Amino acid sequence: MTLLSVDKMEVVYKHVITAVQGVTLSVTEKQIVALLGTNGAGKTTTLRAISGFLGLDDARVTEGAISFEGRRIDNLAPHETAARGVVLVPEREKVFPNLTVAENLIAPVKPRHARLQQDLVFHFFPRLADLRNKAGGLLSGGERQMLAIASALVCEPKLLLIDELSLGLAPIVVDGLARQLAAIRSELGIAILLVEQSAPVALQLADYAYVMENGRIVLDGDCDRLKSHQDVQEFYLGQAHGERRSYRDVKQYRRSRRWYG
Amino acid sequence: MSRSMPRASGYFRTNYTQDLQLIQTRTEWLAALAFVALLIAVPFVASPFLLDLCCQVFLASIGALSLMLLTGYAGQISLGHAGLIAAGAFTTGILAREIHAPFWLTLPASCITGILLGLIFGLPSLRLRGLYLAVSTLALHFIVIYLGGEYETRRGFSTGILIDPPSLFGWKLTGGRAWYFVMLAFAAATLFACINLLRSRSGRAFRAVHARETVAEALGIGIAQYKLLAFVISSGMTAVAGCLFAYYRGFVSVEAFDLFLAIQYVAMIIIGGMGSLLGALLGATFVIIFPYAIESLLGFLPNVKALAADIFAVNYAAFGLVMILFLLLEPLGLVGIWRRVQNYFLLWPFKYRPLASARK
Amino acid sequence: MQLLVNIIVLASIYSLIACGYVLIYRVSRVLNLAHGELMMLGAYLLLATASMFAGNAALAIAVAILLSVVVGILVYFILMRRMTGEMVLAAILATVALGILVRGVLVLIWSSQQQYPAQALHVANPTLAFSSAHISTWSFVLVLLNAAVYFGLFLFLRFGRWGMRIRAAGQNPLLAAQRGINLHFVYALAWAISTLTGSLAGMLIALDSGMTMSMPVLALKAFPVALVGGLDSLAGALLGALIIAAAEVLLIYYVNPLLSDVIPFLVLVAMLIIRPWGLFGTREELDRV
Repeated sequence: MTLLSVDKMEVVYKHVITAVQGVTLSVTEKQIVALLGTNGAGKTTTLRAISGFLGLDDARVTEGAISFEGRRIDNLAPHETAARGVVLVPEREKVFPNLTVAENLIAPVKPRHARLQQDLVFHFFPRLADLRNKAGGLLSGGERQMLAIASALVCEPKLLLIDELSLGLAPIVVDGLARQLAAIRSELGIAILLVEQSAPVALQLADYAYVMENGRIVLDGDCDRLKSHQDVQEFYLGQAHGERRSYRDVKQYRRSRRWYG
Repeated sequence: MSRSMPRASGYFRTNYTQDLQLIQTRTEWLAALAFVALLIAVPFVASPFLLDLCCQVFLASIGALSLMLLTGYAGQISLGHAGLIAAGAFTTGILAREIHAPFWLTLPASCITGILLGLIFGLPSLRLRGLYLAVSTLALHFIVIYLGGEYETRRGFSTGILIDPPSLFGWKLTGGRAWYFVMLAFAAATLFACINLLRSRSGRAFRAVHARETVAEALGIGIAQYKLLAFVISSGMTAVAGCLFAYYRGFVSVEAFDLFLAIQYVAMIIIGGMGSLLGALLGATFVIIFPYAIESLLGFLPNVKALAADIFAVNYAAFGLVMILFLLLEPLGLVGIWRRVQNYFLLWPFKYRPLASARK
Repeated sequence: MQLLVNIIVLASIYSLIACGYVLIYRVSRVLNLAHGELMMLGAYLLLATASMFAGNAALAIAVAILLSVVVGILVYFILMRRMTGEMVLAAILATVALGILVRGVLVLIWSSQQQYPAQALHVANPTLAFSSAHISTWSFVLVLLNAAVYFGLFLFLRFGRWGMRIRAAGQNPLLAAQRGINLHFVYALAWAISTLTGSLAGMLIALDSGMTMSMPVLALKAFPVALVGGLDSLAGALLGALIIAAAEVLLIYYVNPLLSDVIPFLVLVAMLIIRPWGLFGTREELDRV
């Protein structure tokens, strides 16, 4: 069952800057999908378009459609998409710095099962239970990411959008987070759309992946297939074969780019 | 400052001197001459009421231009403008009254007072920005007003200081027509001073400080120096406006310089359109004419007897309403409307400007 | 002793008004410069309900309070909501313009005479005595009410669910929205509470000593109180109110009565030189603007 379906979406900033164009992707139930690409490829914009802009960036989805569980969710306010079950873990400013960890977990909506939700969250991230009374701004990078994911879980999402899981984190912390995400997927049945700059981490964790470049999707497929794809290996996994090449030489890459773009 | 569309096609500037000229094409010369002719002709055909209105507009323009320089270009928010005008007016009043100083003495003295006060008003800007800076200027405004009030009560001028009309080389400055030309001269001088300042190194520094302070400092622009310079120049001009205000009214009293005056000046630059000298002029014209327009508008409505008694309150309420409407609907102000009208006619049948010369 | 009582009364007035500024600033970074006029509106609403429910003072007061809450919510939804995307300065100017509009309309409806709601409600204002000091009843009520309001707000913001949401929205509106917090509701709540406390202050002052069109001046003097304490700190507002009220009362008594209007601003200037972010304000507030 397709949970999220993005169909030829175009996002425009300030009426003149096209950030992404013709983006088509989908996430099915209980699937972990990765969105790969370098800086400025439009991955964060895609996630924020799905979760909803707040009008502060003067951005709009001008073409295409975003559907969640069959209903359109493009250009809704973030709290409305969160109410529908699509919750975003942002890249920057992901926790409330002057609230304690406990308050960070209580503040989001859904008051009924507050206690249950907290227990659930502490089951996945036991470290947070020890940090209950520490202010969010004082946490370390890894703890902050854990808190961010935890506060998203408290909103009872059906789809979790995670922006830059591993940015600025030590590899061992990233491994731990990846394992917890896999556990979240299998125990809670939550689908995950993961934006990642680090291709090895993403391809390890996810089932399916899309590669974005300059605001368009240029490649997609099962992670196993992508791992063995020569171009992905060369340009994203850093495993060169033979002599160095540049993008210009990659005919196959450019061919598939034309195909998808 | 960008060049507008009329000069775009077939007109090329081939050296720097040409580029710097304010008026470039023949059409512009004709338009400018026609405008100047109109300005000169007005006092000979207009009623005294209209002359007074024009004088008020010119006087307000000086204050509006200086505030636009400070807030619109250098980005230093100042709510203390009324205090600066008061300072200029009081300096004039005090000197005229105490030592019977002539015009050619009070004018520079007011300017110097303004400059000194500008230094004081500008000092907080070295540590504060935005909201806190606005609040500090507001606080200083109240302190200035208090000092003025103290002077009035101490010296027994509780109803205000009366001032004789200024005289220059034996010629007394009275009468609407004479004042019209004097005000026009001062306003034009202020306008040209602002234009030149903004085209100079200091003007560019102002804009840089406004846009991104840290980057400006990294580029070697002394932030403290230029912020203070902006305050000093702006305050000097404003104090001169205060001096003229004192002579024009013939009367200086601390009640005339309340917070509403400061808000009116801020409204002038907002309604006119931030970041544009033309906006300052348009805004000044709008805000000055506004009460009279409301009054005549009330004349057209039925059962206005009751309202007419409270004309001040009606003005007040209408002013607030119009300011809100401008903030909500037309954030670029009158200049934004002017440019849109201009674009419509110039670009027809096209609708949008080419992106290269696009303005927000 | 009388001086002390005066200081406490003045401090209570200032702090009750200042908490309105602090609340709205904390939640949306906007300085509500219409607070004085809205406070006056509350007092005039009391006047209106006083003539409607001439016999029943309690009912008149209750209805006036209810109406003032409605006014606060309306101000948000009609005006401030549309300014959420704009620069903070534009939003502040919008509140200034709103204040001007409200004042003009109030003069049109009620004229600028001095009014006495206490007379309209037939409630008395006897003077109470504490050892050697005298205090009027309504001033006393104001002192108590101020303490209650602050206590309630402390508890609400620290422990209440919506109080937490107000704090969250103030720190990071985008994240709050992404966590399902309806920002419009939070902002409207803040405006409602702020207008409520302001109106209460206005009503009590009017009941105590009558009201004129110059009541907003009081709010303008209370504004430095909020800044001295730190614009996003309630505790700071209390402390700032005490400091400024003490300075004002003492300087009026010992030095010069005409200083009363300018003292809050002198203290403010001193504070801006020494510690611009106020006694308890958070430092980064300074650069955020």
